[in-house]
Amino acid sequence: MQIIFGLACLCLSLLAGEVVKDLTQAAIPAPVLAVVILLAALGVYGRVPDGLRLVGEFLLRHMALFFIPVLVGMLALSDMLRVILGPLSLIIFVSTVVPLFVTGWIFQKLAPPFVAPEQEASKDETN
Amino acid sequence: MRLTELPAWPGLEGMFWLLLTLALYRALSWIRARLNETGWAQPLLWGAIIIAVLLVGLDIELARYQLGGDWLIYILALSTVSIGVPIYDNRHVIRAAAFPFLAAMCLGSALAAGSAVMMAGLLDFDAALRATLATKSITSPMAFGVASEIGGLPVLAMGIVIVTGNFGVLVAPKIFDVFGITDPRAQGLALGVVTHGIGTAEAVRRSALIGSFAGLAMGVNGVVTSLILPFAFL
Repeated sequence: MQIIFGLACLCLSLLAGEVVKDLTQAAIPAPVLAVVILLAALGVYGRVPDGLRLVGEFLLRHMALFFIPVLVGMLALSDMLRVILGPLSLIIFVSTVVPLFVTGWIFQKLAPPFVAPEQEASKDETN
Repeated sequence: MRLTELPAWPGLEGMFWLLLTLALYRALSWIRARLNETGWAQPLLWGAIIIAVLLVGLDIELARYQLGGDWLIYILALSTVSIGVPIYDNRHVIRAAAFPFLAAMCLGSALAAGSAVMMAGLLDFDAALRATLATKSITSPMAFGVASEIGGLPVLAMGIVIVTGNFGVLVAPKIFDVFGITDPRAQGLALGVVTHGIGTAEAVRRSALIGSFAGLAMGVNGVVTSLILPFAFL
């Protein structure tokens, strides 16, 4: 039952996201709105229901699985990709490496020094 | 019950591909746990490569695979919404650093999209490709929607986001190491903004705190960028 409830929470958020998108005609995709709505609902409710935590953490941990068919779908674009592969790789390389460094660095400069809350910090840092 | 009217019933063939995808993911995850490293041994990357090689090698149409594969894509939307949970859990840590968070996020996101679009312009990519690249710092379920709003190519947009995520996760530990980015919040933020869902999934595996920063960065960044892009491309 808990799992059903968790799934229902997520579906309800998505539904609410779709409704808001319809009403406002916003160019924002519904899942984006759904996250905002879920956060607001959790804020009002005051805690994460057990079922939602169960389902949510499972889905997040295995998100990579759900991406596999999307990546396989790139096969449909193989003709086009063959032509632009070189320049595209270069673009992805630069626009990934530079922002990764800059984003992390700016935050670290601006933010107050990090104090590890509870037991958090001791997890593996090896990867 | 008239089962024949169910939409896209996967059938024998679809179920085979669905099962193969699950089995590959499970096996590759096991191998990765054994190797105890997260760099090259990514189940997503190798799973997709193995399936793609099979499809091409055996001359099977992509649509046959998607009979099963589509079922997993449906769950992706639910998975995206779940990001709300770790964000909520770590709201206090995040609130304490709200300004640096927003500043670094906006700059990183603008840099990721801006540098990609600019280079695409220099390399003579057409308008549709430039619009597609502009979505590269939005998480893929969202990038799909945004790409079609601004005249890009949705499937390519998702693909680029995923490749970026995979590559980013691969190089991020080295970048953090070289430039001395040790603050777990900074790491999570950078992973969320630049590598989206894949980086966030990776971050959650490392720690809930890094994961929540990644998830929040990905969510907020997705919303902000989705809001701005349609206007930038009018």
